[in-house]
Amino acid sequence: MKTFMRFFQRTVLLALLIALGTWLFYIGREHRVFLDNKSIERDGKNFRALEQVNVSVNGGDPIELLARDRDVAVTVGPKFSIKVEVLDSMGGDVARTVEMTMEPGFGKDMMISLPLLNAARGDFILPPPGAASAPETKSANP
Amino acid sequence: MNKTGKSFWALLADNAVPIVFIVISAIAIPLSGFSASYLVQELLVRIGRNSFLILSLLIPIMAGMGLNFGMVLGAMAGQIGLILVSDWSIVGIPGMVLAMMVGTPIAAVLGVFCGNVLNRAKGQEMVTGYILGFFINGVYQLVVLYLMGWVIPITNPILLLSRGYGIRNAVSLIGVRGILDNLIPVSFPFMGGVVRVPLATLLVIAAFCVFIVWFRRTKLGQDMRAIGQSQSVSDSAGIAVNRTRIIAIVISTVLACYGQIIYLQNMGTLNTYNSHDQAGMFSIAALLIGGASVSRASIANVFVGVILFHLMFIVAPMAGKNLIGQAQIGEYFRVFVSYGIIAIALVLHAWKRNRDREAARRSLRGPAEGAKEAA
Repeated sequence: MKTFMRFFQRTVLLALLIALGTWLFYIGREHRVFLDNKSIERDGKNFRALEQVNVSVNGGDPIELLARDRDVAVTVGPKFSIKVEVLDSMGGDVARTVEMTMEPGFGKDMMISLPLLNAARGDFILPPPGAASAPETKSANP
Repeated sequence: MNKTGKSFWALLADNAVPIVFIVISAIAIPLSGFSASYLVQELLVRIGRNSFLILSLLIPIMAGMGLNFGMVLGAMAGQIGLILVSDWSIVGIPGMVLAMMVGTPIAAVLGVFCGNVLNRAKGQEMVTGYILGFFINGVYQLVVLYLMGWVIPITNPILLLSRGYGIRNAVSLIGVRGILDNLIPVSFPFMGGVVRVPLATLLVIAAFCVFIVWFRRTKLGQDMRAIGQSQSVSDSAGIAVNRTRIIAIVISTVLACYGQIIYLQNMGTLNTYNSHDQAGMFSIAALLIGGASVSRASIANVFVGVILFHLMFIVAPMAGKNLIGQAQIGEYFRVFVSYGIIAIALVLHAWKRNRDREAARRSLRGPAEGAKEAA
């Protein structure tokens, strides 16, 4: 009985440590979010690069992207918020604002196609540069 | 007068190493020309960086195993944890804690191995631990240089050598850099400058000191102290000597793993193949400079040692430059002193042990013949 209890206690302790390690991995993971403003083709249709778009990740300073620009933002944690302001012309007024929360979870890096996002398509997440396929990412309230 | 004179010389002999360092520092500080605020800032940073590593040496000394040169095993385990965490891109406090969690089982296994080897080399623990460090360094290099990226998956190309496997010589720890030091930002004005205090690191070190004080009072701590006094008597008293010695080394190795992670988060860069070598030698040198010996060390020795040893580290190059026109001479002096002091401390320890034995023998003989007649 005593041996069983000891074995049980050690198993529980080990399980707790593994759970803690997994949680730390989940909350401490750094993600690079590439913001891509280049023309892209999907289903035989061409989505043109936006003239100017300002993107703010996690409420940070807005990143200004002109047509054919690509930039990167770094976030830490399982989810991040993104605010995309599409301008009607270069230096013009905000024509459309998209705000959403994204959950990369255990995934690492991702790339967001801003023309596809602006067109309200669900496949706006692209594989990051150098990766073979798109990471699995849940997007909430697109 | 005679008795007072003897006790003065005994006090001087017992604290010869710290006294020498205080004198050297007293000469070197004005020569360096550094401001008081700069020196205090540098000392605070170095206390935070190194104290945990040095404190990890106390428990084996308590168990009579001398200076744990095998602490580099723990340092290597910590480095493996940091390499993996860097590859997984885990940053901040979670990254640091996860590195500790990854390093702990590796350090524990290495500690058990080291403890078993040291039990087979009783009386020669220090030299055995030192050589064991070289042996495990070979295994570490095999793992880091050949297995990582080949057998152990490493996906971050920045960490890997251009050939596709093996870790680069320098790894940037930007994700955990200064994360503990800057967790609680505190600064205060001091003599014309501003001194930043790594408060969170100092709190962790304070918690470790409390742990050591508590640990000494536990049954296990008392057993270790008894073993440190006499292994044969402890064995006769029913204490599991070998097991307790292994536990002492395991605790020391695991704590050295944490100490190395704290050290490297402060540095911000991991020298993959050399960082651990320096950890062992400099920690031991600092402890000895603090007035500890092979058989006796306290928390006070740790802090006195860190302050004196690192004060020399800070002022020696500039003092050398201002005195002779070459910073290299101060740097040379610093390295020379860190190794030399270990040799001096070991010689002093042997001398003191012989002196104490002689005193004990004399006390058993009773008063000398001449003294009896005079009485």
